[in-house]
Amino acid sequence: MLRAVGLVKSYRAPAGTPIRVLAGVDLTVKGGEIAVVTGPSGSGKSTLLNVLGLLEDGDGGEVWFEDTRVSGLGRAAKSQARGRYVGFLFQSFLLLPSLTALENVLLAARYVRRPGGATRRRAIELLQEVGVGDRMDHFPPQLSGGEQQRVAFCRAVLNDPPLLLADEPTGNLDDANGAAILDALRGRARAGAAVVVVSHRPEAAVGASALYRLRGGVLESP
Amino acid sequence: MRSLRILRGYLFTVLGIAIGVAGLVALGAMSERIVRFIEGGDRFVLGQISVAGRGMGMGTGFTAGGILPAATIRAISDVPGVQGVQAQIMLPLDPSTSQFMTVTQELVLGTDLSVPTPNRHYRTLPVRRGRFLQQGDRKVAVVGASFAASRGLSVGSHITLEDEDYEVVGVLDRMLTAPDRFVIVSIDDARAQWVAKDRLLRTVLASGAMALTASDLNTGAAVGWRDGYDPDSVALRIKERVPGVNVQLPSELSRLMRSSTAFFSALLVGIGALAFVIGGLSLANTMAAAVFERIRDFGVKRALGATDWQLGREVVAESLAVTMLGGLGGIALARSLGWFIDRYLAQAQQLFYFSPRLLGGAFAFSVLLGAAAAIYATTRIVSLSPAEAIRRGA
Repeated sequence: MLRAVGLVKSYRAPAGTPIRVLAGVDLTVKGGEIAVVTGPSGSGKSTLLNVLGLLEDGDGGEVWFEDTRVSGLGRAAKSQARGRYVGFLFQSFLLLPSLTALENVLLAARYVRRPGGATRRRAIELLQEVGVGDRMDHFPPQLSGGEQQRVAFCRAVLNDPPLLLADEPTGNLDDANGAAILDALRGRARAGAAVVVVSHRPEAAVGASALYRLRGGVLESP
Repeated sequence: MRSLRILRGYLFTVLGIAIGVAGLVALGAMSERIVRFIEGGDRFVLGQISVAGRGMGMGTGFTAGGILPAATIRAISDVPGVQGVQAQIMLPLDPSTSQFMTVTQELVLGTDLSVPTPNRHYRTLPVRRGRFLQQGDRKVAVVGASFAASRGLSVGSHITLEDEDYEVVGVLDRMLTAPDRFVIVSIDDARAQWVAKDRLLRTVLASGAMALTASDLNTGAAVGWRDGYDPDSVALRIKERVPGVNVQLPSELSRLMRSSTAFFSALLVGIGALAFVIGGLSLANTMAAAVFERIRDFGVKRALGATDWQLGREVVAESLAVTMLGGLGGIALARSLGWFIDRYLAQAQQLFYFSPRLLGGAFAFSVLLGAAAAIYATTRIVSLSPAEAIRRGA
């Protein structure tokens, strides 16, 4: 499902000197697999996930979703590819505070033009499945961190994306909520999705198909 | 419901825009008020030739003249090109105030109702309630809108002029020009008031030094001209052929009026331009800041698959709704402020005129400028990658 070849990415330090974060990353994740990337803070894990999910462009290398080289697409096509192929889960949840839990989930469908009634029913089902069905009319500030991440998970999977990218999904959660989210991600993998998780927490590696460590801008098997 | 919630999120933006637009509209309304006053006066003086008796007597108004006797009025009627001469008396209601024409001076106007009004632009004055004067009326008055409002007068009310009781039979529509502060009476009543006000005139009449009859007591006359004649040429002909009169050329009077109010016009244009720039910058800044504040939301939406076009459309729709609300709120605020000041602080003088062109212009200006600012901010945001937008909004 996901194939990355020779990804390169550098940032400029305030002094102007380039800092190479990715120095030729190769990664392949098939449907049904979970790849877990670990590494210390600042090692470039989030940057890798952003480049894989087309949230930012790499300086070099290629990203393929199935048979499409998505890294070479134009801006509009990349947006459409994100909506069609990718579900994101962020450490800080990134729910829109002006929308209810249900509306936040449905936001994922707005830009891929999915029919309203069926999508709404599916969103409610998902919220009930993760145990926040009774909070669907609440706004993010009215929810706990664990509840917010569950809502964010529902938003990420509403369109049944074949690729799930999770950036420190348990970073702001307690152990119980963290475990619930990791279980949910494993469940999506069992359902056929390719899942990439970056995390510095060892429990994220449980049940992983592949475990990598990002060091010096390249992925290493530990 | 969701739209209302989104707009509630923009509450302070709407308030900020409303305050900017209110300032713009209020200053614009004051400018419009002056413009209407000047235009109204200009229209009046261009519609007739104004003639007064030579000198500076009690008479006031456009010509500030002395006595214009009946024989002189007849002589004016005989000048080729003249059509209709209406004797008039214009007196300050309170002679202790300046005799010069001011925006707030209250005047008594007496007109000879046996002659049709010669002014081509004001054949009749618009009456809001009651009726206008009729030939043969005595001890009745028609009052201007500001005069009525300042004294709480309506049809059937009574006023005292030089110790005489007058019944108000009509109230004029607000014209935003001089007649708003007029008390209009029959010329016979005005003559009696003149004699009562002017001790010198009483002394002259009592001494018999001048052979004056009641019909000689006029401060001026409104003179009309025949179709096809140039009013300035007719005015010059009156000046040449009739001795002892002050004649104002309509075009010259118009120019004098405009130059006398030019300072205020320039001042208000300057203030209006300043309000336009400051209000516009404030509005654009408020709107752009409101969009930039949502940079993280836009990053999230782009992560979820929103294209630049979809995002731009959403932002423009929201900003249009916000600026429309802000614009309407600002207009309502300015109108309320204007009403309050006119009602309680300006002694029933109308200081603000909210013309349709001002309100329409201010509304269109706020909406277009707000939308332009929002589009500019959105363009800046969508030029960032979704990851960068999320990072900056964190």
